[in-house]
Amino acid sequence: MATARIKSEITGTVWKVLLAEGDAIQVESELMILESMKMEIPVESTVSGRIQTILVAPGDAVDEDQDLAIIELD
Amino acid sequence: MKAAVLREQNQPMEIEEVQISKPGPREVLVRPIAAGVCHSDLHFLDGSYPYMLPTILGHESAGVVEEVGKDVTYVKKGDHVITCLSAFCGHCNKCLTGHLSLCQSPEVSRPPEVESRLSIGGETVHQFLNLSSFAELMLIHEHALVKVREDMPMDRAALIGCSTTTGVGAVFHTAGVEPGSIVAVIGCGGVGLAAINGAAIAGASMVIAVDMVDSKLELAKAVGATHTINARSGNAVGEVLELTKGGCDYTFEAIGLKATAEQAFQMLCSGGTATIIGMIPVGTMVELHGVDFLMEKKIQGSNMGSNRFRIDMPRFVDFYLNGKLHLDQMISKHIKLADVNTALHALKSGEEARHVIMFDQ
Ligand SMILES: NC(=O)c1ccc[n+]([C@@H]2O[C@H](COP(=O)([O-])OP(=O)(O)OC[C@H]3O[C@@H](n4cnc5c(N)ncnc54)[C@H](O)[C@@H]3O)[C@@H](O)[C@H]2O)c1
Ligand SMILES: [Zn+2]
Ligand SMILES: [Zn+2]
Repeated sequence: MATARIKSEITGTVWKVLLAEGDAIQVESELMILESMKMEIPVESTVSGRIQTILVAPGDAVDEDQDLAIIELD
Repeated sequence: MKAAVLREQNQPMEIEEVQISKPGPREVLVRPIAAGVCHSDLHFLDGSYPYMLPTILGHESAGVVEEVGKDVTYVKKGDHVITCLSAFCGHCNKCLTGHLSLCQSPEVSRPPEVESRLSIGGETVHQFLNLSSFAELMLIHEHALVKVREDMPMDRAALIGCSTTTGVGAVFHTAGVEPGSIVAVIGCGGVGLAAINGAAIAGASMVIAVDMVDSKLELAKAVGATHTINARSGNAVGEVLELTKGGCDYTFEAIGLKATAEQAFQMLCSGGTATIIGMIPVGTMVELHGVDFLMEKKIQGSNMGSNRFRIDMPRFVDFYLNGKLHLDQMISKHIKLADVNTALHALKSGEEARHVIMFDQ
């Protein structure tokens, strides 16, 4: 099955993961919240499908362009 | 309490009734008296920087302490304070090496599993930069405020909460401008004017202000610019190089554009340093000529003027009261909370300096 990866646009820390593996996800659904320089930054899905793997956990440091989750495409 | 709630990007904020939690052990409830409207608020409103919604924008304010948490000893009810988004934990690597404005410790905000500081009917309202000042009350960490003299007018004090600290701090702390230096500042809004004023205080021999609006260039002169250039001519870099006979020791970009960030670098003399203050949209790349590094030209970012705001802000208050910091000129209008959308819209044209919300008391 085709998959897509959701990437971080910014360097920061994972603050809260809003969805779980197996959940359905739509374009623009909020997947998690990153914290960077005091900003609460939403990570939105760029695709629709089902969440196969979430690659990070709350408290993890993430870099710009790092993969955050793998989505199985509809 | 009433607050201006942003529910959707690029849509006007609505004044809504918002519930505010009780102060936790190290939290302080502040009643803002004045709140400035900064271009950073607009970047989050228009989505060039994403933020969790709903939120309450605003991050430049001064007010009075209303209530303190049980472990707070630094302030008491009735103290006059300026708030700052650079809330510091006080014990991480960044804090302990003196870079408090780079502290990223999550402990100054409430953890996700605890009741949020702000909510509407049980729905979380995301606090903006740990402050959210377009609101009648603010619940913040004790490390997000500083006590100030009571003879300081609150509307001027509010500006110190962001634009002054950012602009003057970029000159004093991030760049470290020495007396006699040649300085150019691109963008003469609240932040750029503060950088110009800071450069004048630091003893720069030449302070060149660049903007596209003539009234802003007039303001720039009033706060310390020695020369002005209207960028509409299309050749601001050429004009700066000619005026300085070879470039600036220090340049500051206070707009947030790729083009002007690149211009800031092009305006340098050999050995010069460009400091980028403006918030360039997420995802935008800045391009430089590699050969310029052979001339030891430098480029750096600045976050909130690399502040140590508990020390800096009371000094800026003294600067104002001693006549060195020209905050009166930087306020173009006093408004009501309900007019905040108009104030944010006005920032788009660049015609006006700071609008300051005055809360009913
Ligand atoms: N780094 C930080 O910590 C920090 C803190 C506060 C604000 N900021 C950022 O600083 C920037 C300035 O904020 P502000 O509140 O002073 O903004 P502002 O809107 O009040 O001022 C911007 C000024 O730039 C001028 N301008 C616009 N385009 C121009 C161009 N191409 N050439 C020359 N002049 C031009 C406008 O006429 C205006 O006078 C924003 O990006 C803001 O987000 C950064
Ligand atoms: Zn600001
Ligand atoms: Zn810290």
